[in-house]
Amino acid sequence: MSKGILTDVTKCIGCLKCVSACKETHHLEADEPRIWQKNDGLSAENWTSIIRKENNRYVRKQCRHCLEPACASVCPVGAMHKTKIGAVVYDSSKCLGCRYCMMACPFGIPRYEWDKAVPYVEKCILCYDRIKEGEQPACTTVCPQQATIFGERSELLKIAHKRIKENPGKYINKVWGEHEVGGTSVLYLSDIDLGFLSYPTKLGNEPLPEKTATAMESVPFAFVGMGGIMLGLNWIIRRRMENSKEQNKPNRFINKKKEPADE
Amino acid sequence: MNRVRNTKLILWLITGFAAAIALNRFIFGLGVTTNLTDRTPWGLWIGFDVMGGVALAAGGFVITAIFYMMKREEFHPLVKPAVLTAFLGYVAVVLSLLVDLGLPWNIWHMIIFWNPHSPLFEVGWCVMLYTTVLLLEFSPVPLESFSRYARIRNFLMKFRFVFVLLGIMLSTLHQSSLGSLFLIMPFKVYPLWYSYILPIQFFISAVALGLMMVAFESLVSHWLFKRKPETDLVAKLCKTAVWVLATYFLVKMIDIIAEGKFGLIFNGSWESNLFIVEVLISTIIPAMMFAVPKFAGKSKVQWIGSFMVIFGVVLNRIDVGGLTMLWATGGSYTPLWTEIFISLGIVSFAALVFLFAIEHFHVWDLQPKEPDALPHTLPSFDYSSKTWLGTPDVSGLTKYSLAFVISFAVGMFLMPGKHLHSKGIENFKVTHASGFDTLYVNGNRDDQLVKFPHEAHIAWLRTHKNPLVGDGNFNNMLSMGTDSCSACHHLSIPGEKLSNCSECHTRMYTQVDFFNHNWHTSSDGAKLRCDDCHKPGMNRSAQSAKHCTSCHTTYKFAINKKSSVENYYILSYTDALHKLCVSCHMKESKIVKDKPNLALCSTCHKTQLPENLTAGLNWKISLPHFNNVILPDVKPEIADKDKK
Repeated sequence: MSKGILTDVTKCIGCLKCVSACKETHHLEADEPRIWQKNDGLSAENWTSIIRKENNRYVRKQCRHCLEPACASVCPVGAMHKTKIGAVVYDSSKCLGCRYCMMACPFGIPRYEWDKAVPYVEKCILCYDRIKEGEQPACTTVCPQQATIFGERSELLKIAHKRIKENPGKYINKVWGEHEVGGTSVLYLSDIDLGFLSYPTKLGNEPLPEKTATAMESVPFAFVGMGGIMLGLNWIIRRRMENSKEQNKPNRFINKKKEPADE
Repeated sequence: MNRVRNTKLILWLITGFAAAIALNRFIFGLGVTTNLTDRTPWGLWIGFDVMGGVALAAGGFVITAIFYMMKREEFHPLVKPAVLTAFLGYVAVVLSLLVDLGLPWNIWHMIIFWNPHSPLFEVGWCVMLYTTVLLLEFSPVPLESFSRYARIRNFLMKFRFVFVLLGIMLSTLHQSSLGSLFLIMPFKVYPLWYSYILPIQFFISAVALGLMMVAFESLVSHWLFKRKPETDLVAKLCKTAVWVLATYFLVKMIDIIAEGKFGLIFNGSWESNLFIVEVLISTIIPAMMFAVPKFAGKSKVQWIGSFMVIFGVVLNRIDVGGLTMLWATGGSYTPLWTEIFISLGIVSFAALVFLFAIEHFHVWDLQPKEPDALPHTLPSFDYSSKTWLGTPDVSGLTKYSLAFVISFAVGMFLMPGKHLHSKGIENFKVTHASGFDTLYVNGNRDDQLVKFPHEAHIAWLRTHKNPLVGDGNFNNMLSMGTDSCSACHHLSIPGEKLSNCSECHTRMYTQVDFFNHNWHTSSDGAKLRCDDCHKPGMNRSAQSAKHCTSCHTTYKFAINKKSSVENYYILSYTDALHKLCVSCHMKESKIVKDKPNLALCSTCHKTQLPENLTAGLNWKISLPHFNNVILPDVKPEIADKDKK
């Protein structure tokens, strides 16, 4: 039931129709280049962009809608969440503005309205309102080359592998987004390396939220454990002090370092 | 007591200045008052104020653990000031969070919307609870001065042990969870700092920092109030710190070696140098200094050593919190002066409250002995002479409030909104097209020019029977015979010459006001009086003015009768040129086959700049930030309104 998008870089002609369709659908304002933007064309007013590469290659950048999104896992109030349908959506009414999602996103997607006094996080929401009603996202509807298509993620994967098989040598034998960080709903087929869509380090196939899971699961134990250690220490030291009082040796333990319990 | 007075004056000055900046930050937003960007969404306020602040406040839980749990009663003189510092530290953290958060008024959402997977959720809760616990722990001290609250005080004193225990447990959690915050970013944090045991490293270093913070604070406040320093107690703290620092160092090194990252330490990059400096300052040098029994008891060594640990560990928090992410994000971030002053201001505010508490409440076992140190006797009114018998303390208060107000005003003066707004590239100016027979259009100066064969276009218009005939306007223009300039240039406007597009469409992405008011009123221009255009007795606005066509009868430019203010705006440069070229070529491509595919941007935007044209032209003012950006077609409002 998880939907997704497959973008075939070899088919894209860079017409930017997806970009303008996105702006129109989500009523995004015209934007001017500001110094706080990255140079990938995404901004609070641009949820998708076309990155131009050598030899007339155009790569569409948008939210990858990870299967196990880091942004949703780190949001302290759960303003980001992964819907059953596949889209990672944002609830601005919950948001605090901590920008942890922007820090945690392995693809550097979420953008901030830095110029507003009441700023929100902005990113592609896979046209959640449209796909809920059985429609396609705006960007895939307008693509004149069918370079970016919408469908069930599993079917898109089949199509991708089929294209690689049928056109030997045309593509790099890899579907971007199939396994990285546990898989993403937005997939890419390409004949050029798409490593630039994420940070320089390789991402690995382990979902990012699992990296914090161990630490978060041990929180209750650390809490109770520290309390136990402190109470135990206190009990031992107090008992020893009482003993020393009985033996009329005041302050015997006061000027010594804390010692392991040897009683 | 000049030392205290001068310090306070400086603190008040900084606080006032920071208050003005903070006000501006809430009016204008984060973008213009900070150097934060989409690449570096967390900056100094998180790295230093929050991460560093929480670590600096670790003194509270460390000293209470030593005093209440381990029953080391000789540390009693240090407990109350340390708890006070911890409480103020957390207040400072919350204040800086309020400045840093985009929507600070939603901070309470953490109480009702839960996401237990998030380390930040846990940190937030712990900070909230621990600040409350610290308040309960400390409040018996100020309550002592008010006898009517004795009951509350007794109640709080009864549960003090519970509060202390809770405080230690909560601190353990969030000191370590600050490290867990970064576990999810293995792709960003430089490998030397990233570790699966970051939470443990953070906790151990926080204990070391806590010990040193108690020591340093005792040294500073005794210097400030010219008291005899508690050298023996501080020496004990320093000796304990040796063990903690050694543990920290071992844990860190074993982790690095086990992960096979040892080679990275000496690879010569700036990160590796930073790592070496950080470890030297935060652990190795101070631990070695304190390990020598002779040195640990010396006041100077204590000053230097404790400061080094504090500086080093806070540097570690800043490193993990963003400084070492720059290699991955490719951005550069230096805090703007506003960010630095807000950080300083919050620290100054906390320091002022600390001094207030020391002077008014029984924080120290021995109150400051100098009479000036307790300057809270208010002036009394003498009825017989009808004068206020003032004390020097009032002049001090006046001085402080004046300092605050003046520095606030200076702060406001330095932050004019207009100046701040221009930080974004608004009103992006267009460069003229250059060349002769062939024009090179490089409006946005990104060096991806459009080569426009001007002569060829003219020749084509002259010789060919224009396929565009049929369109009323063009028909009109072509009737001018061989001179078909008007097919592209607005020759229908009175006084129009063959002018560059960029003369009117002066802005790259924004619409431009077309109506030149100054020219209409100037003696060189139309020499009009106000009443010539604006109806007398009405507000002089665009609405009350006569329509352009009432004078410019030959004016065929598309202005409909329902004129509104928007009509005075013309398209941006990008839109004007795209519409001019694309609309013509689109129509043409239906008739003539094998024409360039205009849907491909690169059909036009790919020409390299010819070398003979580079010399003497300003085209090389390219903006490195935006070289890869392709900006979408901006839809101006005017087009939408016309459609309606």
